[in-house]
Amino acid sequence: MSNKVKTIIGILIIVAVIAAIVPTFLSNKIEYVNFEDAKKKTKTVEVKGKWVKDKESKFESNKFSFYMQDDFNTEMKVVYDGAKPNNFEVAEGVVVKGKVKDGVFIANDILTKCPSKYEAKEMNN
Amino acid sequence: MAGKILIYITFASAMLSMGLFFLTHLGKTQYLKTARLMFHVSAVSVIAFSAFMLYLILSHQFQYAYVWEYSNRDLPLSLLISTFYAGQEGSFMLWTLLTAVIGIFLLNYVSKGQRMEAQVMTIYTLVLGFLGLILILKTPFSYIWEMFPGEAKIGFLPEDGRGLNPLLQNFWMAIHPPILFLGFASLAVPFSFAIAALIKNKYKQWISIAAPWLLFSSGILGLGIMMGGYWAYGVLGWGGYWGWDPVENSSLIPWIISVAAVHTMIAQRKTGGYIKTNLILSIIAYLLVLYSTFLTRSGILGDASVHSFSAPGAEVYWALIIFVGLFLLISFGAILLRIKELSRLKRYTTQFFTRETALFIGAMLLCVSALIIFIGTSTPIISKNTVATEFYSQWNLPIAILISFLTGISIFLQWKTTPMVVFFKKISIHTAIAFIGTVIMYIIGVTDFIILILGFTSLLTVSINVQILIKIIAQGKLKFGAALGHIGIALLFLGIIGSSKYSVEENIELPVGMPKTALGYTFTFLGPERFEDKNNKEDSKYLNVRVEKDNKELLMKPVHFMNKIGDGYSVEPDIANFATKDLYLSPKNYSEGEFIHKQVDLKKGDKAEFGGVEFEFIDFSNKGANMNGGNAPMGAILKVTDGKNVDTINPTVQLGQGENPKYSPGQIISKPNYYFYFEKMNVAGENSTATIYVEDTSIKASEETLVLSVSIKPFINILWTGTVVLVLGFFFSAYKRTKDLNDAKPEDEKKKDTNSQTKEVKT
Repeated sequence: MSNKVKTIIGILIIVAVIAAIVPTFLSNKIEYVNFEDAKKKTKTVEVKGKWVKDKESKFESNKFSFYMQDDFNTEMKVVYDGAKPNNFEVAEGVVVKGKVKDGVFIANDILTKCPSKYEAKEMNN
Repeated sequence: MAGKILIYITFASAMLSMGLFFLTHLGKTQYLKTARLMFHVSAVSVIAFSAFMLYLILSHQFQYAYVWEYSNRDLPLSLLISTFYAGQEGSFMLWTLLTAVIGIFLLNYVSKGQRMEAQVMTIYTLVLGFLGLILILKTPFSYIWEMFPGEAKIGFLPEDGRGLNPLLQNFWMAIHPPILFLGFASLAVPFSFAIAALIKNKYKQWISIAAPWLLFSSGILGLGIMMGGYWAYGVLGWGGYWGWDPVENSSLIPWIISVAAVHTMIAQRKTGGYIKTNLILSIIAYLLVLYSTFLTRSGILGDASVHSFSAPGAEVYWALIIFVGLFLLISFGAILLRIKELSRLKRYTTQFFTRETALFIGAMLLCVSALIIFIGTSTPIISKNTVATEFYSQWNLPIAILISFLTGISIFLQWKTTPMVVFFKKISIHTAIAFIGTVIMYIIGVTDFIILILGFTSLLTVSINVQILIKIIAQGKLKFGAALGHIGIALLFLGIIGSSKYSVEENIELPVGMPKTALGYTFTFLGPERFEDKNNKEDSKYLNVRVEKDNKELLMKPVHFMNKIGDGYSVEPDIANFATKDLYLSPKNYSEGEFIHKQVDLKKGDKAEFGGVEFEFIDFSNKGANMNGGNAPMGAILKVTDGKNVDTINPTVQLGQGENPKYSPGQIISKPNYYFYFEKMNVAGENSTATIYVEDTSIKASEETLVLSVSIKPFINILWTGTVVLVLGFFFSAYKRTKDLNDAKPEDEKKKDTNSQTKEVKT
């Protein structure tokens, strides 16, 4: 294959890649936002915060709902299509991924952040 | 002390060796013997401190912080050994150990014949030296009073260690990290060869010398990556084997690049071209390994990954950045040094419809795939965003189709020129077979058009390469590594189609004893079966589920336990492995069920009613008890009135550091099924309240319930089979290429290179 052809193929591939990847990237980008901003967005976003223990949390027939407070102290009800994660009560923080609909955050994923990972932070004698 | 000294020796002798090899390169060959000696000193030193660490672990020397943090007396031998690399420092040690051992083989390999020994070893000793430096900065040999000053007295010897995180306590922990690290460490070899080739300005010879190593790295790294996938699938319980987790991705990217390099090296061997490509790919592969190390260990990804170690501290962070930066600089420098010669290399031409074209396009596609994954993975570093996993699959799917297509047809393309008639004749029967297979796929439920195309191209590849495989074996030759590898990757694609795209999942709520149907099976939760708690697992139980279908019955036992180190509940799935599918059960939530109960917050003097009795909160007991431990537990004094009977009870709670609260409930004689718990004190000065929880254990409010995720993974066995075949393909090729190299005469090696600049491949 001649060098010219190779160069043309190379350039074509690069152009195709950019033209293809950029929109894909933008449409799959998930931003970390707070609840206030989440209300204004139409795409999937991620919100970090804590579970509000005092407010009602319910789990029945595959829907888990609870109240969450983000890092800016805004509270919102979250509804998740699935089971309550095993470690929900002891989780230090919660990250939900989804969209706001009618003032409620519909989550398609919940991640619980546990207090400690693989390493010891201190000794327990 | 001994460990630290040995690490210093490693670093110093590696650096000395580097200097001496460099002098040898400059022509001062009198230093060669000492250079080799110094390298062996360095390597032996590494082996020595590794053995020392192993000794410390096996003899339970918990005064060493690392030994205390990751091991304890309870661990079985294989897991005990694997605690060697359970933490940051240890995994660096493992990497250093593997680099040293590989280096011994490498030195032996390059000291034969004209294999650029001085140049290769100059670079390789730098790698080893740098790893030694990192171990100096973050030593695995600190004592426990150095790591936790203030909490441990000097000379303190703990009775037992903290032990291994339960998530790591399984068979895979013993093999996945060592194999993976072997793959990573071994990519330093092609890297060193590429830089050496640039230094020596000789570009033909290094390909055949480096190829066996590259094939070996690709095989081992691929094996290590898939082991991680199997670990996730079989033990972690989220139902998948690949999560596009940043750490998973950062090991996949160098692998893809090394696979591309394997193919362009073949192209260079046959056509003389792709010289720059091969240099760049071999260099990039190891730079990506360093980048991957940086991502995993610097803490920069924070909680975004399952694999994240906690941040290692500023010195290591900067050491890693300097590691990547320095090697980037060396690579650029070497290329710039030779840029004139590289651009003067003769061009050559062949036709379009050739195997070379197929290899070129295939390699480019692999690089595009690697680039996509690289961009997605690096996003959280550059911005406050992540990418959804669909980003990776969206473009990797068409790429996979093209790659599997090329993998299939390329073997029927000739190197110089391919007569069309012959090509189409050869390919027609396989096209027919693949087409029939695709129709079958459609019939059994694969209706997604683009997936069917991937299925078609993969079946085509399998069919063609099986024919090739049989032909080569029948000829008694050993050259079937490529055929095996291609069959492997095609099976991998087919297995992914089945088990990912067409897996079905349902969450079912199973109150104990009540059968429910889902996905064609009937499930009945039989209740928990407790087993011995040990090794940081507490409240360990099997959540037994009876599975029935067509009059056949199976007992499946997923596991539920409290992870003391991870501080929360973890699960292990149970998998029923059938020929054409896996049935995968994973507990999503387990609740022991509740009795009729009531929870109230009471001020002093407040009264509440429950089940016919009245209780009044009198006061706190032992209010001074620290919420974070302390001596006697804190509690509430309650006056309970049941008709004529008046009791005073004092339920308490003992809070411990890092442990679950221990409740001591109160009871009254007239209602022995009533349990009164003191949950907590809500501090508000004069208006502080006590949270009281009372339950009647004779009446159930809700049943013991298991929420179970059941899924079917069709044809996942094809996936695992594909992996094994793929890895075997690499190993056979590596073996064959090494054999060829050893059989060739040394004069031939020298002859090849003097012509590299002027020879032109005929069209």
